[in-house]
Amino acid sequence: MVSPRRRAAIEFVLDNLVWFILVAVVAIFSFAVPNYFQIGIFANIIEQATFVGTLAIGLSLLIIAGYMDLSIESVMALSAMVIGILFAASGVGLGITLTPEWLVVPVSLAVALAVGAVVGATNAFFVVRLKMNAFIVTLAAYIWGRGLVVALSGGRSAQEMPAALRVFAIERFLNVPLIAWVSIVATLAFAFVLRKTPFGRHLLLIGGNPVAAYRAGIRVDRLTVITFILAGAIAGLAGWLLAIRTSGATANLGVGMLFQTFAAVVIGGVSLKGGVGSLTGVYAGVLLLSSIQTAINLMGMPAHFTQLIQGAMVLAAVLLDTMKLQIRKKLA
Amino acid sequence: MTAREPLLSLDGITRNFGAIEALRGITFEIGKGEVVALLGDNGAGKSTLVKIISGGLEPSGGRLVYEGREVRFGSPAEAKAAGIETVYQDLSLCTNVDVVANFFMGREIVKRFLGIPILQERAMEAATAKAIADAGTRIPSLRTNVEHLSGGQRQAIELNRFVHWGGKLVLLDEPFAALGVEQTRRGLEMIKRIAAQGISVVIITHIMAQAFQVADRMVVIRQGQVAGDVRTEDTTADEVVRMITGEAVKPPRAPIAEARTTGPA
Ligand SMILES: Nc1ncnc2c1ncn2[C@@H]1O[C@H](COP(=O)(O)OP(=O)(O)O)[C@@H](O)[C@H]1O
Ligand SMILES: [Mg+2]
Repeated sequence: MVSPRRRAAIEFVLDNLVWFILVAVVAIFSFAVPNYFQIGIFANIIEQATFVGTLAIGLSLLIIAGYMDLSIESVMALSAMVIGILFAASGVGLGITLTPEWLVVPVSLAVALAVGAVVGATNAFFVVRLKMNAFIVTLAAYIWGRGLVVALSGGRSAQEMPAALRVFAIERFLNVPLIAWVSIVATLAFAFVLRKTPFGRHLLLIGGNPVAAYRAGIRVDRLTVITFILAGAIAGLAGWLLAIRTSGATANLGVGMLFQTFAAVVIGGVSLKGGVGSLTGVYAGVLLLSSIQTAINLMGMPAHFTQLIQGAMVLAAVLLDTMKLQIRKKLA
Repeated sequence: MTAREPLLSLDGITRNFGAIEALRGITFEIGKGEVVALLGDNGAGKSTLVKIISGGLEPSGGRLVYEGREVRFGSPAEAKAAGIETVYQDLSLCTNVDVVANFFMGREIVKRFLGIPILQERAMEAATAKAIADAGTRIPSLRTNVEHLSGGQRQAIELNRFVHWGGKLVLLDEPFAALGVEQTRRGLEMIKRIAAQGISVVIITHIMAQAFQVADRMVVIRQGQVAGDVRTEDTTADEVVRMITGEAVKPPRAPIAEARTTGPA
């Protein structure tokens, strides 16, 4: 039997474990890696976190509600390719221009979100209506989504996004480019939704015990559909940001980000069992991955090292998840 | 003493699970403010019947007449909206969140800012604390996750929850199974109290003494059919046990029990 105060302390550490790890890792790198401790490097870490950070929002919401979405990476690429084809000036880009020129910002954003929402809705249809396994359904979407990207582009790339969009990648606020701020604001907004609104509360309840939530009058199916659509739309937002950053889109855009996102989400304290997690923790997980990657780059290690380390991190994250569960069980 | 109006009439309710006929034509009535004990052996179909009334299962056949109108509850949300509260045999709590979140599950108190509903944690915590204190339940902290609580504490949360929300009909499926002696005594008193407020109660229990303590009427289910429907004062524990085991001849159906003098007219 543990005293309530001690339990509260342990719970606090477990809940915020990833922030402690992040601070420790950054401190170690700052001592050990030459040139690591600079404002510019930290800004770079945050900038790098943009895409995985955005993808992680939708994935976290779905995992917390007890589901799974493997399609996000392909959805991101699909959204990026669609707006690349519509608005980029060269390559497969059609170079559509709008007057006034800034109109391309809301229009391209709306298109990117809509593409994501449509894929999310098809996922939801198979999972909720046809009662198919979310893992399989979204794995299929991961495959056909990427296939659609290649088919649409013919394997070629779109280049030169309009200047009105490029501004978001170039202009900086506090040393951090605007696209990274978009991701941060989205994270904070959904962190608020998850913690403070009935919608967020109901996601936790569904992830904890869907039968109890249903019996309590919560419309479980409806909420699940909304969450799949949200996760798709947020992946669409990540695609919009990525197309701006790369000023276009390639057929293999963002390959590998699914696993980074997964790692970040689990490292961030979201339990794969559902019903547990916070988006601020997930963002810390994203920053942790990003700071490790930055250290690897600075030390001049070859790129495949990053993959090795990321693979190890995924394993470590799942191990950590299991360990936290066991500690919590002992506490009870 | 006046005869009560029926609140809910079940008319020939059937329910099949594939080839299994769990319910084979259940017909009885529940009066306003009446406490009906639903008795029967394991597998008799009691939980299935409760789920049909509470909107969790669709009947395969038969009619439900609630407040004089034929109804069909497509979901627990619809039954709840009609004033039917249920405590299920397998508890309906989310162990990953705290006591307050469970208490207000699906009915959270919110305040709107700029059209966005915001959870009012303080108000919900205060209401939960009051309800739990009123019922004499002791729970160390309302902010601990339910996974850290004992079986008895969990059951107490569910019982307090439905008392707090009230309604017109309460369905209790073996509500005291995990409770101690004192908590059970309080629970039985609580049933009498809410019945006196004019709320109807259906309670499933295996303990004859509990049934005789609170029920106005006993309905015995055997192999998916009504094997007995008797007023408490007209029967004995022995007779009820014989109905449950199938040794007794089925007695004629009893009318809705008359209101006790304590109940509303
Ligand atoms: N979901 C289900 N699927 C198949 N059979 C079921 C289901 N629920 C109940 N049954 C069957 O229906 C019968 C009645 O069960 P139940 O209502 O739980 O009985 P009781 O609550 O009286 O013990 C049993 O034979 C049980 O096996
Ligand atoms: Mg039962």
